Amino acid sequence: MKALFTICLFFLVNLTLAQTTIKGIVKDSKGETIPGVNIFLKGTYEGTSSEVDGSYELATDETGKFILVFQAMGFKSQEFEIDLNGSAQTFNPILKETINEMTAVTITAGAMEASDEKKAVVLRPIDIVTVPSAMGDIIGAFQTLPGTANVGNDGRLFVRGGDASETSIFIDGMKVGNAFGTTASNVPTRTRFNPNLFKGSFFSTGGYSAEYGHALSSALALNTIDMPMRNQGDLSIMSVGLGYSQTLVGKKNSLTATANYMDLSPYQAMVTQNFDWERAPYGFDAEVSLRQKWGKSGMVKAYAHTESGGMKIWQKIPGSEGRGQLIDLKNHYTFTSGSFKQIGKNDWSYYGGISYSNNVDEFTLDQIAIRNQNQVVHAKAVALKGFSDKFSLKTGLESYVFSYEEGLKSENLVRDFDDLQVNIFTEADYYVSNKLIFRGGLRAGHSTLANHTWLDPRFSLAYKFENEGQLSLAAGQFSQMPVEELRIAKPEVQNTIANHLILNYFLTKNGRTVRAEAFYKDYKKILTYEGTQYFYRNIQQNGSGYAQGFDVFYRDQKTVKNTDFWVTYSFVDSRRKFAQYTEMVQPGFAPRHNASIVVKHFVSGLKSQLGGSFSINDGYTYTDPNFAGQMNAKTKGFQDLSLSWSYLPKPNLIIHFACSNVLGRDNIFGYQFSPTPNESGKYESLPIRQTAPRFIFLGIFLTLSKDKTANNLNNL
Amino acid sequence: MKKHTLIIALMMFVATFANATNEAYEKAMMKEIQALGKAGPVAELQKSANAFARIADMNAGEWLPNYYAALAYANMGFRTEGGLEEKDGYYAQAKKHIEKATALSPNNSEIVAVQGYIIMGELAADANSRGQSLSGLAMQTFGKAIELNRQNPRAIILMAQMEYGMAQFFGQGPEKACGLVNASLELFAKEAAEAKEGNLNPSWGKGMAEEMKNNTCK
Repeated sequence: MKALFTICLFFLVNLTLAQTTIKGIVKDSKGETIPGVNIFLKGTYEGTSSEVDGSYELATDETGKFILVFQAMGFKSQEFEIDLNGSAQTFNPILKETINEMTAVTITAGAMEASDEKKAVVLRPIDIVTVPSAMGDIIGAFQTLPGTANVGNDGRLFVRGGDASETSIFIDGMKVGNAFGTTASNVPTRTRFNPNLFKGSFFSTGGYSAEYGHALSSALALNTIDMPMRNQGDLSIMSVGLGYSQTLVGKKNSLTATANYMDLSPYQAMVTQNFDWERAPYGFDAEVSLRQKWGKSGMVKAYAHTESGGMKIWQKIPGSEGRGQLIDLKNHYTFTSGSFKQIGKNDWSYYGGISYSNNVDEFTLDQIAIRNQNQVVHAKAVALKGFSDKFSLKTGLESYVFSYEEGLKSENLVRDFDDLQVNIFTEADYYVSNKLIFRGGLRAGHSTLANHTWLDPRFSLAYKFENEGQLSLAAGQFSQMPVEELRIAKPEVQNTIANHLILNYFLTKNGRTVRAEAFYKDYKKILTYEGTQYFYRNIQQNGSGYAQGFDVFYRDQKTVKNTDFWVTYSFVDSRRKFAQYTEMVQPGFAPRHNASIVVKHFVSGLKSQLGGSFSINDGYTYTDPNFAGQMNAKTKGFQDLSLSWSYLPKPNLIIHFACSNVLGRDNIFGYQFSPTPNESGKYESLPIRQTAPRFIFLGIFLTLSKDKTANNLNNL
Repeated sequence: MKKHTLIIALMMFVATFANATNEAYEKAMMKEIQALGKAGPVAELQKSANAFARIADMNAGEWLPNYYAALAYANMGFRTEGGLEEKDGYYAQAKKHIEKATALSPNNSEIVAVQGYIIMGELAADANSRGQSLSGLAMQTFGKAIELNRQNPRAIILMAQMEYGMAQFFGQGPEKACGLVNASLELFAKEAAEAKEGNLNPSWGKGMAEEMKNNTCK
């Protein structure tokens, strides 16, 4: 027994004396050598790394059969069976590259992403909220990005010749109905949601994924923060109201509760207004946000937002004396959503949710009382499967319930409709290499109200050059049901349709970003009608139109120290036959030339960030009934210079001051004409102006937490 | 009896074998820790990272090989003269290894400190756009590392660097940061005095503290 053991040991010792050398050169599929490859015998300590010239040499005392592994960042590992017997061996493997999510090409056609996590982004979330002209409204910041038009008497997003209803807004993938506050005509509105809620956004001005429907021109997807960092309270005292937010963070969950009160009365008493207010806009909102981690990588979120507000305003009637018509407006709004995401086994992942929006508007126009209610339910479930690092497939099922009711309370007249829509979409991504990607998608839908089924194909591809610049192309069909106010008058109306074609160049390198895009969009089956809301007549689906143009964007954070600036120019040539127009016209919301500059500069000595933004366009078209034709006149160009000053005396205290239209330019967005000509046969007019020459904002934001460096910079 | 002898012999054999693997582990680790300490250029750090990755494969229960692999990758990110994509590639590798280390040894002050160090690297790679989102996270992570072990000089010197950056940003003096530098230097001295022969635990970072002491806190 003992002898046997000794012999065994002897053999073991003896065997180790035979040394084998393995050597070679590691290359990639293009024939370039790869340095730093980890080369080792599986299950042993024996290993080495390849040199700068790709060569390696591994000498080992092991003998017998082993597996030789070649492993390198960005490449697929390769394994060889090897018999170590003392004789030198050569291996010259060619490693294949893997698709690297971080550096691979991304499709940027139409898309502008703001994210802290991803590449190919135009902005960071923080940049959005610090745009001086935005006054804390997310949409205000998007209006300095390419493809958008600033329509100052509306406040919503107008993208590439499209009207505001053509942009769909999603929070955590779920549709938001009535995302903008209700307002009187020509009084600009804001988004209802606090920019603080979001960690990033995806804004597309066309050619977007088959995942997004109900949007003719644009999709804006906002993503809420996953987990806040710490327990904290945020107090804001502003010239327009007060707010408080409390965040509690547990190990696997968190809760944020916020309440805000807003009233412009004191402000309007101090600052001259162009408008004749009977009661300045006021309102409150409250929201609760819950987040729960689910397993190792999943997340469940619940969110509820409710608000109530109103205003009373006198609107002059052209050609008549006096204060005009009194509009009394009250709005009640609720949005709730629940969403989840989870990563499964075998490269499956899932996400989805359900949302409910309820908007109630109560108007009183002189003696007429109107009540409109719009409800949207959206449910969605998506499964994503990665078949390899090159090919993935996304499939989703969505259903919508649109329910709308409008009533003339004073006349006891009510009408409503319900529409159930089912959508299914599928989209495949195929990476040919890290430099080339193809994406193809299909989206199908059915509306029970219109009894109409449709299919939208979409396609895009992108190629990345050696210098990191990339070229993307996107094309597709986009469908959207007309707005509720028209559907209720003619429920059988079908989808309006737009086709997009977009070519995009994008380069971001060393703190500088260049983005250039050319586009063509055509519109089909858009609605024409006579009359105004509640009294629409002769609704026909015979409108059409087009929008074409290009835009450029340049951002630089490098050239001037402590300074970040971006410049945007958008050219839009758009004409369409729509609404009450009987021929192709340039819409009033689609100025041809649009430009803006945003500059932010940090001054350490002053502990301040100074900001300025300047926006300009060439004016808005309108119809002057004193002359022949439609859209036969144009206002003078719009100009706005906004300045802001954020002062951080302590890390947890921010004092923010901003002023829009510093130069006091009297911007005019169009004219209202008297319905009938006066004695001398002339239609009298009133300009549609800004609510006030300037808007001045002063806010103090204090963060209370154990961590004294925390602040609510996101509020600005 | 014969049977018993066999069992005992086998047991001894297994014990010797186990001992041998442990020795091999320690030997390999000692060698690579020294190499990492001396490694300068990215190519050398890559070799070091590869070596620790190999040791980690062989010792699935040990957190230290993954810890050092992460540290080597993080240092590659700091030292490379390449672009943002390359830096982020190294930090992604560093994160992969530090996550493995965390799974093996949760709530470990040293691991959390390196987590913060990686975040600091990502921040430094593109401070203009990442400063706002990552500076708070980096400080919070170092704060957690210090909370887990108040005697960890690396967590303290890394926190000192963040504090100094914040003070510069807000136009304040370096006093708070320098207080941390002094505290870390004391702990480095204590650590060196207590260190035993063949110690595999982290002991890097003193140079960082001395440099700050000499340049920032004169």
